[in-house]
Amino acid sequence: MSYELTIQPLGQTIAIEDGQTILDAALRAGIYLPHACCHGLCATCKVQVADGEVEHGEASSFALMDFERDAGKCLACCATAHSDLVIEAEIDEDPDAENLPVQDFSGVVSRIETLTPTIKGVWIRLEAPIRFQAGQYVNLNLPGGIGSRAFSLASPPSAGGEVELNVRSVPGGQGTAYVHDTLQVGERIGISGPYGRFFVKKSARTPVLLMAGGSGLSSPRSMILDLLEEGFALPITLIYGQRSRDELYYHDEFVALAAQHPNFRYVPALSHEPEGSGWTGFRGFVHEAAKAAFDNDFRGNKAYLCGPPLMIDACITTLMQGRLFERDIYTEKFISAADAQQVKSPLFKAI
Amino acid sequence: MDMKVSKKKLGLKERYRLMTRDLGWDTTYQPKDKVLPYVGYEGIKIHDWDKWEDPFRLTMDSYWKYQAEKERKFYAIIDAHAQNNGHLNLTDARYLSALKIFLQAISPGEYAAHKGFARVGREFPGVGTQVACQMQAIDEIRHAQTQIHAMSNYNRYYNGFHAFADQRDRIWYTSVARSFFDDAMSAGPFEFMIAIGFSFEYVLTNLLFVPFMSGAAYNGDMATVTFGFSAQSDEARHMTLGLECIKFMLEQDPANVPIVQGWIDKWFWRGFRVLGLVSTMMDYMLPKRVMSWREAWNIYGVENGGALFKDLARYGITPPKGWDDAEKGIDHMSHQFMLGLYQWSFGTAFHSWIPSDEDMAWLSAKYPDTFDKHYRPRWNHIRKLAAAGTPFKNYGLAKLCQTCQLPTVFTEPDDPTLTCHRETTYKGEKYHFCSDGCQHIFDNEPEKYIQAWLPMPQLFQDPIKGDLGEWMKWVSLIDGKDNGDYAGSEDQQHFEAWRGLATTNQ
Repeated sequence: MSYELTIQPLGQTIAIEDGQTILDAALRAGIYLPHACCHGLCATCKVQVADGEVEHGEASSFALMDFERDAGKCLACCATAHSDLVIEAEIDEDPDAENLPVQDFSGVVSRIETLTPTIKGVWIRLEAPIRFQAGQYVNLNLPGGIGSRAFSLASPPSAGGEVELNVRSVPGGQGTAYVHDTLQVGERIGISGPYGRFFVKKSARTPVLLMAGGSGLSSPRSMILDLLEEGFALPITLIYGQRSRDELYYHDEFVALAAQHPNFRYVPALSHEPEGSGWTGFRGFVHEAAKAAFDNDFRGNKAYLCGPPLMIDACITTLMQGRLFERDIYTEKFISAADAQQVKSPLFKAI
Repeated sequence: MDMKVSKKKLGLKERYRLMTRDLGWDTTYQPKDKVLPYVGYEGIKIHDWDKWEDPFRLTMDSYWKYQAEKERKFYAIIDAHAQNNGHLNLTDARYLSALKIFLQAISPGEYAAHKGFARVGREFPGVGTQVACQMQAIDEIRHAQTQIHAMSNYNRYYNGFHAFADQRDRIWYTSVARSFFDDAMSAGPFEFMIAIGFSFEYVLTNLLFVPFMSGAAYNGDMATVTFGFSAQSDEARHMTLGLECIKFMLEQDPANVPIVQGWIDKWFWRGFRVLGLVSTMMDYMLPKRVMSWREAWNIYGVENGGALFKDLARYGITPPKGWDDAEKGIDHMSHQFMLGLYQWSFGTAFHSWIPSDEDMAWLSAKYPDTFDKHYRPRWNHIRKLAAAGTPFKNYGLAKLCQTCQLPTVFTEPDDPTLTCHRETTYKGEKYHFCSDGCQHIFDNEPEKYIQAWLPMPQLFQDPIKGDLGEWMKWVSLIDGKDNGDYAGSEDQQHFEAWRGLATTNQ
């Protein structure tokens, strides 16, 4: 049995299972709600129930008092749904969120390309075009009981009729093995989406710094193509890292875009390129390339980070030491129930 | 298909902003820095007060409503506890020693925090900050009052509760906490926020309140447990305020980083010394123990503190300077402190005792590397003296640390057989310290600490003039009732007699 949970002021609707807490449902859907103790004592996660019935669970009578229960408050960490719910939470309204509805799409694989020794590009022509914001992701439904896998859309929203996914083969990974070894052009396949809240904060009108590594290029690429198409005039910088030149896919495309658009700056960085290979660009990691490119001063930018956890971590530290802080840093990151339980300081919320 | 359109209304954040930020105004007939003169002299540079994110998001009208309801609930339970002779549900009256120390040393700290927040709320320019500090000021006075009320019922039956305010001001073992708060209250507004909002409320509060409130629950003290629940719903806000303040300072200007680091070093170590009291309560004074001090440190210090300093490292902040020395002291401090309290027990307004065989077996299991080697032999010796009718009393005066004001009973970080002692000569006077941490704090601000009131020198001043009886009068300690060994005390006799009446037909 599951209910619909609508979270205001985001206006986003997600599923909540029987017995699942509001906090758990929200976090698993990638929506951060303020929380701390997670067992009904501290009241950090207090939210207003605007519509529907909740069961208050273990909420302490001091953290959630009778008059508050009467006024429709509940503690998200303890409350479970007895009907469809609308809650009002203390989350920042995001003027850039289009809150597009998640839908199922079916399509046909129209093209498969080997982008690097480990990454394949997969194009899917959809029966009906998908509306999404550059940076968002979809779930790809794979046959044979594999289930679905999440991939960021690498193509711009303007090309919603044929979407591109870049899939890195994960050693031992069932889903990526299917895409790499079995998937054929002409095969019917379904996706659902768009998901995620990782998109450019265009309304802030600040220069855009994108940092990408490994297979994290998809969202930044979609964002860049989208921004350039619509004539975004402020500086856009892509710091893009791979281990070696043969893994640096779409390098030529970005070189060409940089030549074409004076406000787009492209800084590729290779961390393990053999000596004497003829590579004349930056050697080192993404965060090191960024520090050099910005002379350790990131103030006035908004930064979008996409890549493996170690890269994200190093980039956040570099950005903060270059005076760019949490409110201007965005990462493609999901807060799982496991994250909510691990020992983590409450110093940062979103990064 | 289009998305569901819902009625547009103000978000909670926006509503909060309208109810607080818009309360602010710009001064007209005096320049702002004349109205708010204290924010500059500590060297903290703030460029944009509007970057302060309000962690509370609570408006005054709802704040009053919440707190009033909490009071009603709290006092209903306290009354029931008093009417039903709740004190006889305690595991054992030894537990009361922990309670007495808390009332004499920590509850007045809540009151001091109240005064401090009221003051800094006036001194900070940002409206968000002012509102947050104002609410915390009211929280803190409420905590002080409710703690005192929760414990007042014990004062009707047991000794040592009647003069906590005098003992906060005058007795020796409470001055570690008193000087911590006095130091914070006489610092600038930003340092106060690091001292109380960050070090005390965030880094130390879990080590102080969680073991203490769990200790109350384990030992049948429902009055204190109720206080704990009532306060915990405020603590989350307090911690958030402390963290917000430190982020704000670190993000506003790179020049703030070394200043904040210095305060973190200082206030971690000052707080750690206050925790000496807590370690002893946890390991020795709870008849039914919750966890050892070492176990509490591993969870709240090493794990939670470690996670925090890992995040703060992004700002260029390093773990507090005394962190390693603290870790080295964990397995020793409660034993060293309890030995100190026992040998000076004629001068404590609570009882101490020689641990039983069962207590020592527990201590040995919890401290396998230190208890049997260093502390069991001393307790055995003390026990032998007590059995021979010559109990061990130290009538000498302890050498006090000029910074934390504790007797210098702690050992060298790397040698538990050698008492740690440091000295600084300043303007021809010699000052003593219990540790490198306390000496560094003094050396950094000697003019502040040479003015410190210390309980031992007071003994030779008016009105005491070196007379122990006069001293007892002056600190409101009743000899033979409040002090000494638990064994044979009035508290022990009364508790056993009353409990006997309540649970048997005699």
